[in-house]
Amino acid sequence: MTASPRPSPAQAQTQARLDRLRGRALPVNHNARTIAALAANPGCSRRALMDAVGVDKQQVATHVGFPAPFGQSQFAIARGNAFEAQVKEGGAAQLLTLLREHLGLDVGQAHYHDLNDVGGNETALVRHGRTRQLLTGAALSAPGEATGTMFDHPMLRLAVGGRHAYLEPDLIALQHRGRFHVVEIKSFAIIDGQADPAKVAAAAIQSAVYVHALRDLLGGDPGRVHYETVLVAPRDFSSQPTVATVDVRRQLTVLRRQLDRIASVEGLLDLYPAELTFDLDPDPGGRPQRPPGELADAIGQVTANYTPDCLATCDLCFLCRDEAAGTTGALGRSVRTDLGGVEHAEQVLGLARGTLPPSQERAEIAAQLTRAARLRTELLGTQLFGTEI
Amino acid sequence: MTLLTSLARVIAAQAGRAQPTKTRRHVHLSSRPLVLIPLQLAGEACAPLAAMVGDDRDKPLQLAVYEPRDRSRRFEFAADLAETVLAYIDGFAAAEPEEGQPYPDAPQLLVPNLGGVAFARMLGRSTRFRRTDGEYAVRAAVPLLGRWLSYYAERSEATGSALLIPLTAALADHWATGQSAMEDANLAALVSWIDPPDGMTGPEAARAAEDPVRYPPAGPVTDPTFDNEVLDHLVKAVRDAAAGGGTPLARAQAATDAALRSQLEPTWELMWRSVDLLRTLPEAASVPDRWKSDRWSFTGQVGWLREDGAPQPRRDGAVAAARRLARLEREQQRLAVQRAYDDPLVMAEYRLTGEAFAGTVSAADPARLDTEGKRAKLRPWITVRTADEVVLENGTVLRSPDRPGQDAMIVDIALSGQLALVTLELKGGMGQAKVAPPGTMPAVGDEVTYTTLRDEFQRAPEFPERENTPWTHGGPPADYVPTEDDAREDWS
Amino acid sequence: MIAGPGYHRPVAETIEALERRIDGLRVAVREAVLAGDRALASAHRASLKRAEQAWEDALMTATAPDAQTAPHAQAASEPGQATHPRAREPAEPTGSLLPLREQVYEALSLLQVPAAPKLIATVHEAFFGATFPTSRVTSLKRDEERSFRAAPFSRPYYICAALSADYLAPSRGLLAISTWPLERRVIGSLSPRVDFLTAAIRVAEAIERIPEPPPAARRLLQRFAASIPGASSPPSPPATVKEAAAAELTVHKDADDRARGAAAARARPLAGAEQLFGTMSFRELAIRTSGQTAGRAAAE
Repeated sequence: MTASPRPSPAQAQTQARLDRLRGRALPVNHNARTIAALAANPGCSRRALMDAVGVDKQQVATHVGFPAPFGQSQFAIARGNAFEAQVKEGGAAQLLTLLREHLGLDVGQAHYHDLNDVGGNETALVRHGRTRQLLTGAALSAPGEATGTMFDHPMLRLAVGGRHAYLEPDLIALQHRGRFHVVEIKSFAIIDGQADPAKVAAAAIQSAVYVHALRDLLGGDPGRVHYETVLVAPRDFSSQPTVATVDVRRQLTVLRRQLDRIASVEGLLDLYPAELTFDLDPDPGGRPQRPPGELADAIGQVTANYTPDCLATCDLCFLCRDEAAGTTGALGRSVRTDLGGVEHAEQVLGLARGTLPPSQERAEIAAQLTRAARLRTELLGTQLFGTEI
Repeated sequence: MTLLTSLARVIAAQAGRAQPTKTRRHVHLSSRPLVLIPLQLAGEACAPLAAMVGDDRDKPLQLAVYEPRDRSRRFEFAADLAETVLAYIDGFAAAEPEEGQPYPDAPQLLVPNLGGVAFARMLGRSTRFRRTDGEYAVRAAVPLLGRWLSYYAERSEATGSALLIPLTAALADHWATGQSAMEDANLAALVSWIDPPDGMTGPEAARAAEDPVRYPPAGPVTDPTFDNEVLDHLVKAVRDAAAGGGTPLARAQAATDAALRSQLEPTWELMWRSVDLLRTLPEAASVPDRWKSDRWSFTGQVGWLREDGAPQPRRDGAVAAARRLARLEREQQRLAVQRAYDDPLVMAEYRLTGEAFAGTVSAADPARLDTEGKRAKLRPWITVRTADEVVLENGTVLRSPDRPGQDAMIVDIALSGQLALVTLELKGGMGQAKVAPPGTMPAVGDEVTYTTLRDEFQRAPEFPERENTPWTHGGPPADYVPTEDDAREDWS
Repeated sequence: MIAGPGYHRPVAETIEALERRIDGLRVAVREAVLAGDRALASAHRASLKRAEQAWEDALMTATAPDAQTAPHAQAASEPGQATHPRAREPAEPTGSLLPLREQVYEALSLLQVPAAPKLIATVHEAFFGATFPTSRVTSLKRDEERSFRAAPFSRPYYICAALSADYLAPSRGLLAISTWPLERRVIGSLSPRVDFLTAAIRVAEAIERIPEPPPAARRLLQRFAASIPGASSPPSPPATVKEAAAAELTVHKDADDRARGAAAARARPLAGAEQLFGTMSFRELAIRTSGQTAGRAAAE
């Protein structure tokens, strides 16, 4: 769903509220990875709101004293760049060879369009315009009259939370039957036909974002863009590339649900006072001036849903973890489930000791906890091991 | 995760210290394990950067790859690592074992975490097919190391095997921290919970241990800020000095060694501390038995390699895969039973789920006979008074860890307030007399545990011979023939 | 302590002290990065750079042939040898006495098609024995343009750009020779593939001309061959590569020629510098808008 050219009054008002919430900073741009990450923790309002609004979560987290633990090694970046460059050199010779076999391209389908810039202009807007022009043109061309095959770093666009997110797949390939395939180039290896499942999963969600955006650009006919995306990666321990197909239908379904949820961010906004803002109040040099305690309070007004998985994906993880100290959820989803969904450690201990009278729903877990506590005491005692419970 | 272990986590969080979840050590610990800490370069499938290895905590050996992007250096690294690892392994296969016995001991590899196991698997895979002749020849030790590492990595998947152990898993198996399992994957944080330094609580120490500058990650992945601010310069310096050689090169290499040592040494200390912590637990009764299986496996592997057996093929054939899966399942089941029998805290799990109960013998009739049938059979009765919740039914046959050969069938359960009185009929393990000799059955006042868990010897399911692999599973697999490709494995 | 610009250091901080300070600064940079404080990290990096420079200077002094104290005496005994470990540039390659522009001309003349710096360097190493870092090739194009603008057409040839067919802007990463026909210097959508195949043929021909082709040349041909149907299984003798490349070329040639012809016609009226190095208007626009990073466009 592309944004309509002129926002309605209601949309304009929502936009104003989103801007107010974000503060003075420019909205952080979504990319495929961040959009994909939105699907990771659907129950977290804090993240949903901040991402919809375009808050720089890393800056916010740093300013309240909980800088995010994520960083990228130069070696990994260099390796990724080098592999991509290798695969794309000489008119994308290696890539073309792989795609010919994998997608059954005709010999004549060897066109290469470089969309990294448009006559020297690298702005997203201009690149997107040119991308749209070339891709729709290629889609309309008659079979046998191919005008495009490989589109290098095309610029796609997706409306997310009232703003446009610009997305850059590594490559899009057009097959002779008029179907587009998203091609992603990764530098993790495919060894004996298998790759790290977590990495493949991440790549799949990313590719799904691109498929979705491309279908959007081409007018919505899903048949135009195949749900089978192409993953290009080093084979075994060499730098020779190999290819794998990644079916992203499931990811597309999840993604659509997520995007719909983000689209209805107004509902979320209504829960919070109009003055709520995550503004950092930067000085002329750009350094945040807002009292950290005040910012922390603002953040605290929006409920989070911390799970240990956040430690791998979200810039706010240390902040939310600190907040969640003393909850069973902080120990893991399965731990909370084992403990019958009881939310706080204090409650668990109280039920186990018998000092906290259980409610009706808690009767069963309370009984189990007292039994469990008794067993631990019986077997561990209080002098030799452990702690008295 | 179970109710008991999750409760233990909550207790740990409140106490500020990890809580034991086992009263025994369920993993064999060698008196002389080989500790291996690998580091790899970010961004590649298997680009070793450095390693610290040794079987003596005072004598770590550090290996470094000064030009980690240069593929030929990887095989030099592998050859150097092979020297130490193979010498260690050979020590255990020096003297021929007795007739019908495995080697008296087997080499045990300890790595920090699951990433370390994956590294061993990758290094094994990338080296075991290399050739010692031809255009891309490597030293003979390299493919041999590859085969051993692949063997070890494969064995580590078998639950109950102790040949290759990631210490984070071993520690987490015996203690519950007050943090999540995900955070437990950080060896420094995990040890901090179990054994915090004086003056600090577990969580305080664990939080401090998350600082990668003071506490370098246990690897194989290095901290990105180390890569970007330190390693990058060092690699460049070595590269720039390489052409000229001499002192500048030596200096650049020494600087690299020092930097890598700073990333390895703290983990080295942690590894040996972890071993010490595990040794504070008494060994579980079945551990020597499982270790014997490992020793048998090791014995077989030595024999196979001595006969110049082919390296493990890249993928299993269908029959081999099915066989392996079945074997893993059997081993898993057996391990679960053994752990429960060995450790009352593990048995406690089953007491909570109703698959076991423990209590005191309140009555016993060692002379009771079953007079139905032609001959009278000795079927003593005992009554056990227990506070556990008993949800089993009459007729269920149970076992006791103290008398694994004796069946105990429930004949009656009577509830008395919070207690249950369970009457059991015993069979087996008491000889042919008409009265059970003392000691062959529980006596009044004994503490006993009974459970539905049984360790039956399961026959391996029948699998077709590999020549007869059904067509539904791809037909018979081709015999493994090493090819040029394996040795070449593109260098560009 | 971090030395600020106004701090006066006592004479000749020892090398060991410098190394300690460098280590300390590296830790400080890492901590600043982890704390999310980019400004502090930059400040530390700047101090680090200065400390590293001081260290290199101190080493140079210590290992100079006339040094009194000679902790690195063995290095000092070889006068004239570069002994500081971090050369500003990697050592000059052996072999060619020609200036870089001539070497690039040699390689491009062999290929006869526009090519990227990496390929140019590889070709030169394979066939002319000397290599050069690709970074020098990239800056060469800038130097050539400056030289042209200062004195247009004063040199017999210039290493110039290839122009994209659509906007006649400089095609990223490609170099060409100014004396080539314009059609060869414009890049249509099939041109990268056509030029790849043509280059393969040229390399094959060059190998055939040499009685004992060096392994580097054979490897180069092999890399081409791997991406040409009909020649992809090694070993691919030059004749096979030529045949296979020519076969595929027949499929693309007409369409590519048409596209290039049309583009060349549009490029011909362009003034000298634009025709050689790409149209000014887009490049000016690019310079003006280069401050905007991609994707930061506000809502339209």
